[in-house]
Amino acid sequence: MGAVLTNPLRVGLRQERVIPPQCLVIFGASGDLTHRKLIPALFELFRQRRLPSEFAVVGCARRPWTDDEFRSRMAEALADVIAEHRTAWEQFAAGLFYEPADLSDPATIVRLGERLDGIDRNRATRGNRTFYLSVSPAFYGSGTRALAAAGLLADSERSRVVIEKPFGTDYASAQELNRIVLSCAKESQIFRIDHYLGKETVQNILVLRFANTIFEPIWNRNYIANVQITAAETVGVEERAGYYETSGALRDMVQNHLTQILALTAMEPPGRFDAEAIRNEKAKVLQAARLANDHEPWTCCVRGQYTAGGSSSRPIAGYRQEPGVNPNSTTETYVATKLFVDNWRWQGVPFYLRTGKRLPKRLSEVVLTFRQAPVSLFDAAGGAPTPNQLILRIQPDEGADIRFEVKAPGSGMRSRPVDMAFSYDESFGEPSDEGYVRLLADAMLGDPTLFTRSDEVEAAWRLYTPLLELMEEAPWQLPVYSYEARTWGPAAADNMLAGDDLVWRRP
Amino acid sequence: MAAQLTLQAPTALPPQELAPYLERLWGEDLQHSSGAATFTLVVYEPSWLQQHLIRTGRVKASLTGLLERELIQAAKTAVPELGLPLSTAVMDQRLAWELGQQPGDDPLEDLRGQFVDAAISAHMPRRLITLAPTLDSGRPLESLVAAYCPLPEERGGGPACGDVVVLRGGRGSMKEALPLVLPLVPADLPCWVWWNSSLDEAPDLLEALAPPPRRLVVDSSLGQPRRCIDLLVERIDAGQAVNDLNWLRLRTWRESLAMVFDPPARRNALEHVVQLDIDVEGDHPLKGLLLAAWLADRLGWHLVDSYRVDESPGAAPGTGGQMGGGIGAEFQRTDGTSVQFRLMPVPVGSPKLHPGALVGLRLICAPEGRPPLCVILCSESGGCMRLEAGGMASMELAEDVVPLPNESEEMEMARLLGGGHDTTNPLLATAAVLAARLLPD
Repeated sequence: MGAVLTNPLRVGLRQERVIPPQCLVIFGASGDLTHRKLIPALFELFRQRRLPSEFAVVGCARRPWTDDEFRSRMAEALADVIAEHRTAWEQFAAGLFYEPADLSDPATIVRLGERLDGIDRNRATRGNRTFYLSVSPAFYGSGTRALAAAGLLADSERSRVVIEKPFGTDYASAQELNRIVLSCAKESQIFRIDHYLGKETVQNILVLRFANTIFEPIWNRNYIANVQITAAETVGVEERAGYYETSGALRDMVQNHLTQILALTAMEPPGRFDAEAIRNEKAKVLQAARLANDHEPWTCCVRGQYTAGGSSSRPIAGYRQEPGVNPNSTTETYVATKLFVDNWRWQGVPFYLRTGKRLPKRLSEVVLTFRQAPVSLFDAAGGAPTPNQLILRIQPDEGADIRFEVKAPGSGMRSRPVDMAFSYDESFGEPSDEGYVRLLADAMLGDPTLFTRSDEVEAAWRLYTPLLELMEEAPWQLPVYSYEARTWGPAAADNMLAGDDLVWRRP
Repeated sequence: MAAQLTLQAPTALPPQELAPYLERLWGEDLQHSSGAATFTLVVYEPSWLQQHLIRTGRVKASLTGLLERELIQAAKTAVPELGLPLSTAVMDQRLAWELGQQPGDDPLEDLRGQFVDAAISAHMPRRLITLAPTLDSGRPLESLVAAYCPLPEERGGGPACGDVVVLRGGRGSMKEALPLVLPLVPADLPCWVWWNSSLDEAPDLLEALAPPPRRLVVDSSLGQPRRCIDLLVERIDAGQAVNDLNWLRLRTWRESLAMVFDPPARRNALEHVVQLDIDVEGDHPLKGLLLAAWLADRLGWHLVDSYRVDESPGAAPGTGGQMGGGIGAEFQRTDGTSVQFRLMPVPVGSPKLHPGALVGLRLICAPEGRPPLCVILCSESGGCMRLEAGGMASMELAEDVVPLPNESEEMEMARLLGGGHDTTNPLLATAAVLAARLLPD
């Protein structure tokens, strides 16, 4: 964002909903996510006056910390932020508690319940509880069972469970996990989080589409030739090798984040803006989606893995040389895939999804490329008129561009493409909230609009089942091509589009 | 017509049997329902205008307490017929008072408290208590009660229910109602008190009905301006959570003005404001003053002086006195430069519902070494012409039309309930204090 002054007239203008009296219980409180994302998001909500005075956070993990130890560890992690808001932190930290608990040890969960009753009395949190499972995915099912067995999910109006990704590792495991959690709680109590949906620009897809009249009439197969959805990262696997080795890019990014963006881009307009109406439409479009070639799925997916790259002064290690990674690993760090959505709106329009680590730029975007003009009347600077494009930039430099042809200055009638750009920075000049701020608030408010429902999750897994089966049973049919770190992925991905006379956008 | 909250007609009970009846209702008859753990909403709902419109036969309708379209139309028709200035807003007390002088004795079916806007009922009030004073001041107190469950489509179903209590009678009997109301407010739930009437009315009742920590909702456009702003400031100073619907109706103006300065390239101009002009409908200045006070607070201006201005720019020759004068003030920016402020009443042919609605705003910024920037915002109905006059065209102009929110009191109220804030909005808290100082005695 740079050093843009805050608009003083914006301060306090948003009147957000205040979260009702609440106790947020974080399992996995000693983990990375808690001090990196969750506590900062809660502190931000506190500073925005969105948390009521009747509020408490209870951190839970196996470590035998005390309340004070938990507070001081969180304070350490947020030292930079706290330095500017010391008084606010002291008030906020008074509501932080810690209870040693192990989701696989029922006795500790019962004890936690007693502690929560006490906090209800002392902090007047009225029995409203949100349990956040920031733990290993292996504990999602058993953890929910443990909470239910201790009676902590009995009140369906006042208790909720937030479950981090990945929700399952394939279609069957997602179904099984849904079966377990829905035997313990109602769907309305389960909040499956996908932090991409907390991003302002992802939500803006809905506003752009459904608050304007100029886009929706052309948002279909009659005008759109193809859609590219990209989520590129410059970083490597970092400290997540243990998880990533069992996951890979398809499970880590495509099945959830990219597929959610696909759903928002392709869904039909909901009848009204409420959770069920939106999730119904998302589920429907995911159920209509399929791999471009069901019978030969290897033809519509390319996997890659980065190798060493960079410059001699700043070399970048290859994936297999990263700490914690198997030197013979075949885990993909790059995936490109081609899908179709079989419905009236999108029949025959290819959707290309790609994601990768160690790509040249960090960016996420949706690019809708429109069909060519039927007749080319003018001499185009590029030989042929460039197709119109609508580019929705999700991160960074959030905004949108429309690319269209104009007359190039001069005596002739040559055309050339130009971009009409909207930038969040230039229009609003203020950073938006972290995704977790929005999502935590929504979960505690009981608003599931930006969380994925069981049928959405299952539909997303089912979509990629042929690929997952192939990776499991016939990996040679879906080879992992290598690509040099800081390049746009393996050549095979370019070839996949070349087969359709297309190229990936080089943003 | 708004949705009827109760499917069954409320049961009339002797007032002393109210509390035991409710206890029995929840203890036995509704034992399978948990009751919504939400809030209590106490509404003082005299609806004098509606009562007089129906009594005088200008409208054939039941009295629901809601200001429905045909009532608004009848009120607008009554304004010129009663010799009131065309700028008189429908909710201006003078209209109800003039109607009160008219003959008429049409029967009145009083359904106040039973019809609730869906936007409010969607928040499932645990208890909705309506105090409904009648025109007949000697009428004894009646109490009515009913349980309700919102229809499933309103919000996901579920067993949560609430109840509706109506206390109806002459003005004198409202004092009798007070001891009944207090035990009916559950101690463990937030309580909102909505004074849906003029703040000039029944101050003792307001005092008794809305002690802190109950959350008070008022409308500072209804009542004598000095009394309204002083009450706001007094309650805010006392630490009570106060909401002002008049302030909330400024939302689109504050948002529109903020939007002008959202692009970072414009931010600098805010540090160089030299003049602020606000036009309001009629002679109720509070809304305009709250907007000026908010702006002054956000930009760190210091109030030097405020005074009455005799000139009434919108008045036709010979009618200058009709609109009354304006208000002028001088602020000092943080760099010591003076900012001139004028709030002027202007006549309009088709006023909005509430007195003192904003017609236009002009903000002139004079950054050094750059051409002046003139920001003009005007209402959809008011137009910008008066503020565009005076050589503004030589400046860089940023103009916009502020959309009319077109929302009822109930929608505003629902938004408040949905927000759930248990403290006064800090922007209102600071703006009210400054607006009180801006209003000359």
